[in-house]
Amino acid sequence: MADKSNDPVAMWQNMIGEMEKGFNSFANKAMESPEFSKVVNQVGGVTAGAQKQLGELMEKYLVSMNLPSRAQMDSMAERLQSIEGQLNEIKALLHQVHSNSAAPGGGYPAAPRPPRTRRPPSAGGEQK
Amino acid sequence: MNAPAAALDLADIPERIQSEVQRAIQRSIKGVEYIASSGPALGSTPKDILHVRGTMNLYHYRPIADEIYRVPILIVMATTNRGYILDMVPGQSFIEFLLKRGYDVYMLDWTAPRPEEKSLRMEDYVLDFIPDCVRRVQQDSGETDVTVIGYCFGGVLSLLYGSIFNDGPMKNLICFTTPVDFREMKLFQNFSDRRYFDVDRLVDSVGNVPPEMILSSFDMLRPASRVVGQIQLWENIWNDEFVKSYRMFDRWATDTLPLAGEYFRTITKDLMWDNKLFNGTMSVGGRLADIAKIKVPILHAVAEHDHIVPYDAAKHLIQKVGSADKQEVMLKGGHVSLVAGANAIKRLWPKLDSWLCERST
Repeated sequence: MADKSNDPVAMWQNMIGEMEKGFNSFANKAMESPEFSKVVNQVGGVTAGAQKQLGELMEKYLVSMNLPSRAQMDSMAERLQSIEGQLNEIKALLHQVHSNSAAPGGGYPAAPRPPRTRRPPSAGGEQK
Repeated sequence: MNAPAAALDLADIPERIQSEVQRAIQRSIKGVEYIASSGPALGSTPKDILHVRGTMNLYHYRPIADEIYRVPILIVMATTNRGYILDMVPGQSFIEFLLKRGYDVYMLDWTAPRPEEKSLRMEDYVLDFIPDCVRRVQQDSGETDVTVIGYCFGGVLSLLYGSIFNDGPMKNLICFTTPVDFREMKLFQNFSDRRYFDVDRLVDSVGNVPPEMILSSFDMLRPASRVVGQIQLWENIWNDEFVKSYRMFDRWATDTLPLAGEYFRTITKDLMWDNKLFNGTMSVGGRLADIAKIKVPILHAVAEHDHIVPYDAAKHLIQKVGSADKQEVMLKGGHVSLVAGANAIKRLWPKLDSWLCERST
């Protein structure tokens, strides 16, 4: 095996690692300054405003092209999520009914649950 | 350079070149495979969905062991990320580990809040979602006691819940990398500096805080790491295990959730700006949430190299809770590798099991 200090691949990897640490540390120092916060939040505010305006403009354009807008797609996604949610509720209800039917006199028995009698290894011998 | 070392290096050169050429070929083949294929299926431990309500999802994982501990576990996931970080793939799943060790596991996981859920407040999470899930866990398991495990901000929510509902039914509390002193989250503090960050304007204009914004704020903590990650992926693309692991973690890290607007407003004002959790002045829905009122056994696991929740932000948790039975463990690793991956398998998971098994009967 080649000596790590002479291995060009190991040297390259080491260099990348050091560069990552150095850059992160340098950037973190810069980001701790109040000036950074000021600039980022100003830019962020402007960007959020611009994005909102662009979104409104695009929506008008898509309506004129007879294409669904993002808001309409979101609305469809919401409806799908709502249907999924209702399906899950039905599933949960079925699960509950299934569990209840395990009671004496019920129909199909629910999958048996293991007993809650487990003890810690120190108290009950070896761990299962 | 001394002579023997140089001689050894010279002898190794042909073998090294051959190995690098083979890797270069493998990189080309695997690189195409990487682009053409999807990543491993995540979160596949069998589970039943017990309840879904908007952004809230309650799962019950099907027990594996023949005999389980009496006290069920409810995991409260951080609201910014998906719960499958704790259920990656078989052999690397915290959930699977708990099931094999005989625990009955439930998870409160989150999906993206819908636009109309922008009005969800901290109260909805702490006074409604968590108590509702606890009730359902009690009902489903037939047990009164519940152990709560909170990861990152899920830990904060669990602390708030535990401090308000301090007379039960929470029997044990386990927090992973949970911040308490938000002044010490220096970069997040600077990003949300009240002099320049207009949270009202942001929430009022966008509704829910977009996931891209959350992801960029996490990425900004280590701005070079994503690029370096890509370089490392290319270097190791011949290594299937590396690629599998990279894909799992990368997919999870980029699968960030939006945050409900009102909830984000409270986080910013009460926690980031006023540090109310640390000061003992936090209230949720008009109810004081002082963590000194928590009396149940508590374990707090923190990571030595956590860049998201630095130790200084997390270290006061154990000092401030009122529990007599309390312990902090600092383990090697970062914010994510503490709970998932090879590091967690050998460090956190066994530690948690040895602490919890004695308190789960």
